Amino acid sequence: MSHSSTFTSRMTHLPRLRLTRKARETITGYLFVLPWLIALLVFIAYPMVASFYFSFTEYTMLKPPRFIGLDNFNTMFNKDPLYWKSVENTAYYAFFSVPLSIAIGLILALLLNQNVKGIGFYRTAFYLPGLVPAVASTLLWMVLLDPKLGLVNLTLRIFGIEGIGWLRSAAWSKPALILMALWGGSGSTMIIFLAALKEIPQSLVEAAMIDGANAWQRFWNVTIPLITPTILFNLIMGIIGSFQVFASAFVAGTGNTAGPLNSLLMYMLHLYRYAFRYYNMGYASAMALVMFLVLVVLTVALMRSSRYWVYYESDERN
Amino acid sequence: MSHSIRPCPTLNRREFLRLAGIAGSAAVVASCTPGSSATQPPPTGNAEEPQPTDTPSSQAPAAEQITLSWWNQFFTPLCQELFPQIIQEFESQHPNIKVEYELSGGPPGGGEYIEVLLARIAAGNPPDTCTLWTPPSEFGARGALMAIDELMAGAAKAKPDAFYEKPLKSCQWKGKTYGLPASAGAGCIFFNKGLFEEKGISTKREDFPTTWEGLFDLCRKLTTVENGEVTLAGFVPWAQSWLRPVYAQNNGGQIFSADEGVYKINSSNNVEMLEHWLKYLDELYGGDIEAFNLISNWGGDVYPEGAFQLGKAAIDASGAWAPTDAQIPFEWEIAKFPVGPRGEKSHTGFWPNWWAMPKGVKFVNEAFLLTEHFCTDGWVYWYINGTMDTPAWKNIPPDIFCKAVEKTYGTERAIDFHKFFTEYLNDAAEMWTSPIENFANDTLGQTIDEVLHKAKTPEEALANAQELCQTKLQETLESL
Repeated sequence: MSHSSTFTSRMTHLPRLRLTRKARETITGYLFVLPWLIALLVFIAYPMVASFYFSFTEYTMLKPPRFIGLDNFNTMFNKDPLYWKSVENTAYYAFFSVPLSIAIGLILALLLNQNVKGIGFYRTAFYLPGLVPAVASTLLWMVLLDPKLGLVNLTLRIFGIEGIGWLRSAAWSKPALILMALWGGSGSTMIIFLAALKEIPQSLVEAAMIDGANAWQRFWNVTIPLITPTILFNLIMGIIGSFQVFASAFVAGTGNTAGPLNSLLMYMLHLYRYAFRYYNMGYASAMALVMFLVLVVLTVALMRSSRYWVYYESDERN
Repeated sequence: MSHSIRPCPTLNRREFLRLAGIAGSAAVVASCTPGSSATQPPPTGNAEEPQPTDTPSSQAPAAEQITLSWWNQFFTPLCQELFPQIIQEFESQHPNIKVEYELSGGPPGGGEYIEVLLARIAAGNPPDTCTLWTPPSEFGARGALMAIDELMAGAAKAKPDAFYEKPLKSCQWKGKTYGLPASAGAGCIFFNKGLFEEKGISTKREDFPTTWEGLFDLCRKLTTVENGEVTLAGFVPWAQSWLRPVYAQNNGGQIFSADEGVYKINSSNNVEMLEHWLKYLDELYGGDIEAFNLISNWGGDVYPEGAFQLGKAAIDASGAWAPTDAQIPFEWEIAKFPVGPRGEKSHTGFWPNWWAMPKGVKFVNEAFLLTEHFCTDGWVYWYINGTMDTPAWKNIPPDIFCKAVEKTYGTERAIDFHKFFTEYLNDAAEMWTSPIENFANDTLGQTIDEVLHKAKTPEEALANAQELCQTKLQETLESL
């Protein structure tokens, strides 16, 4: 028997690796998501881990980070007077902008959930402001809110309201920012609510009508409970978005102060300054970590509370 | 014996999708792998600063063709016109050097200029020279820039004593020089001659008040209030934030001393300065800073959007570049800054365009030649043919002036302005020297804002600012 024929004979008797169909499909699936997975690891997971580490260091980007333990957090909570100012400003902004955005979004959705001629145009028109880039819309609003010549004050003057300083007033600068946010953000909230309203079974509404419920009773007892999952979603996303407000505060702030008496010094703007104006990446990372933890806590709290006020149709069926 | 013909293997849909997934993922992984695609050359040298060679800058470098990169934030039509000419002149003097640059307002590829620049320095892949609108002292102290003292000592034109003292000091930290100032546009008072004439006030430069009290009295005559609203303000001293060190030094005080390495924000001189500013607000401008700020854009300098050009302020402060840049449409005159009760001499300020060589530059000598060119002959060319932004280099021909100023205001005025600003620069205040310049400027801005809003007294506010800035300075110095 020749050597080659022995080799060939051995090759034909090697166990063949056979993957099950399920295994092959699993591998194929992972191969397809591999690009996304790589992007997740490189652009999200790695920066998060790195930022977590930097928050315990002194890091200027120009020298290697130096471990300093909890010094950044001590500075944040005890020595940086503007930190608490930024927290206060951001909390104010979130407290007003989120509920207002949800309320306005819902009202618009209810109005646009009608079968009237041209409804498509109106839905588009209300959604379009959300597509305007933040910097452009802030610049636009700075013109509209000009105390002397802006359209807003000219209109208010007709009704006898004078002298609102808007972005040049410590008392009115945050309401100005909230106004900008409502103009730009209500559209996307509206679209999400509209989708939820479309899902409400008409049979329930008709049943309520037959039972004698008026429009408000139908809204409160049928519509609202059925869209509570959407309200929860918008609430969580709204809180996360409002905590991260940056572009409008950055553009609208004037000179070296973030608005009169730092009234526009939002959390992310303060973080940005430390990272890119004062070259203190470690402190900025610490601020980012604190914000992340606060958002996690808030989100978990909201999710836990949802069992008391959010109605899921699937729970009913189960 | 017949050969059995194996049928061609068919590719079913699952197989096709599996192969497509493998191929796509392989392509993504391959594109993420560094090395094979065209990248910047790795930085040469080790962690230590590259040492300059013995070749003096006046000699032509070796014949090897070199490409230098220059980063900047210039973008205006005038920059697009003049900078290529400046580069061309440099390249004709050094035929083996080519300069790569953009005039797009930011770094190549876009992004925020300082962020991208710092990232490239940190990565060891910086441009060979860069223009900075932030003081080199701040970056140099943090180890981002190359010290160029040895290069300057051997330079033909950019020797240390060839520059005005204070603008050069803005590039220095702890005895080392980290950049060069190309321009040092000196600051001064601008006043509206028409408005002065209406009030019967002399418009001669020499008659302009030389003291703070004199200026205040002048503003009392100029300020007009109608129906409770200021329709014309004399002068708004807090409007131009970059001039704070000048006002402080004109009252015998200081914001920051680089030689001593300490802040002096809460000195009695500076308290007196803020109290004097409050006097303007309370006695002339109605006492309510927010109501006053609604009237006009006081911080708009002498530019079209500012109160000065809008006819709302009779006097403002700006820099030497303003006559060509701001296109003031009425008759105006300039004067030196008045001096406070504790000041002895009128100081001016300056706002440079700086050039620097980041750490990790590959061709040190050649990069310095380019930097030197920009900050000497190059900027003189800009000054003559562009804006009247006074060169920081002292060794300029004595009979030059800005052609744009000559075209608008005549030869005599152009020569007069040139003489005024270049001589005034000899009395420049110390500014832009702190390693925490941005932090201090922001803190001072907030401090003045608090005082004008009556949220704190000048003494309280300045004491707070002093503590914040000095603490920040100490922390930064300890980390350097």
